[in-house]
Amino acid sequence: MQYLLTFRSLTYAQRASRVLERAGVTGTVSRVPKAAATRGCAYCVIVAARNRDWALHLLTGAGLTPERTILRHPDGTLEVSE
Amino acid sequence: MIYLDSAATSFLKPASVRYAVSEAMRTMSSPGRGGYESAMLAADTLLDCRLALADLFCMRDPARVVFTSSATHGLNIAIRSLVGPGDKVVISGYEHNAVWRPLHGLGADIRVARSPLFRPEDMVRAFRELLPGAKAAVCTHVSNVFGYILPVERIAALCREQGVPLIVDASQSAGSVGLDFESLGCAFAAMPGHKGLLGPQGTGVLLCRDEDVTPLFYGGTGSQSQEAVMPEFLPDRLEPGTHNVPGIAGLLAGVKWLQQRTCHAVLAHERELLRVFCERLSGADGVYLFRADDPKNQAGVVSVRLDGMDCEDVAARLAERGIAVRAGLHCAPLAHETAGTLASGTVRFSFSPFNTSREALTAAEALLALA
Repeated sequence: MQYLLTFRSLTYAQRASRVLERAGVTGTVSRVPKAAATRGCAYCVIVAARNRDWALHLLTGAGLTPERTILRHPDGTLEVSE
Repeated sequence: MIYLDSAATSFLKPASVRYAVSEAMRTMSSPGRGGYESAMLAADTLLDCRLALADLFCMRDPARVVFTSSATHGLNIAIRSLVGPGDKVVISGYEHNAVWRPLHGLGADIRVARSPLFRPEDMVRAFRELLPGAKAAVCTHVSNVFGYILPVERIAALCREQGVPLIVDASQSAGSVGLDFESLGCAFAAMPGHKGLLGPQGTGVLLCRDEDVTPLFYGGTGSQSQEAVMPEFLPDRLEPGTHNVPGIAGLLAGVKWLQQRTCHAVLAHERELLRVFCERLSGADGVYLFRADDPKNQAGVVSVRLDGMDCEDVAARLAERGIAVRAGLHCAPLAHETAGTLASGTVRFSFSPFNTSREALTAAEALLALA
């Protein structure tokens, strides 16, 4: 399972990815699936489910709190968890 | 050619700038339009450039580093964000038309803080007298005509005291004279990418203190695309349309070069060239140099007038000898009016990190031959 951490802009998603990278957490910048993009095109950082809490802690500390956290199940279904 | 017109465009660039532009054209597409490799490579380049500029200008938030097409573009955004018709705006007597004309076009009540060349105390006094009741203030950091370094830190302090937002035109200072955006506390700082920052033409930067800004252009940003309104956040709010990715890649290379060399070293080099040039001309009959008594008040730009000769003729004859300079009013009639050179204009010599003492001396000798 993966979590999609959405941000208000590509710039913020990139910065979040770099914060995670510096801490040794893989966070891939990607576009938010259309079904979950409530206001149109948006970007997110994808992290493994096991890294979610640590990633959120790191990002909040860096002033880059995600707008939403979306759980992506192995079958591709999405679940907005926050 | 001896190129001494870097105040217009830094034609002499590091080789890494040309390479970066070429590589960007080969490998990058458009950021914010897709998640594929060439789009993400472009996005990474833009973020790297924002981070490098934030570092150079001591900014905490790289998202408030906005790419523009020029300093003029950035100044228009800044002015339209703060000023409306009839609003009182205080500007220095050394502003470029990139400030004067947008304010005039808006119908602002423009008050010019005039003071003699290279007299920072007088400039501070002039701003202090005019600031009460102003809606905004605009001050160039370095005069593009005379190289005069204005006391922008002290003017910024006055503006903070009076609660007047300040726009700094850093067109001639960026890349040589240091600017600490957070300490200055100004609302905006605008600059071109193609002068001291050593990037390609068609690039510019606007540093923004907050996100309450008025877009000049509206359009697609690759974000919040279901909304009819522009995103409320930076940089997207001010960056609709496709970015000049090759230009920004080149700008990044220029800024990296500056970070290695340091702005302090660049300024020291340019001042040394100015000293060599001026000392050779010092005392020559018929040559008038606009030079600061105190070197710390002047960057690597100097204006010259030759008695009995039209400034355009001087520049044309220097061009025949392979020396590139700019004559006339330099798009800054206010500065010439303030300095008393509106009727004659001047010949401007502006140095870059890539000029040599020999070139400065050769230019001085060529000028002496005309005098």
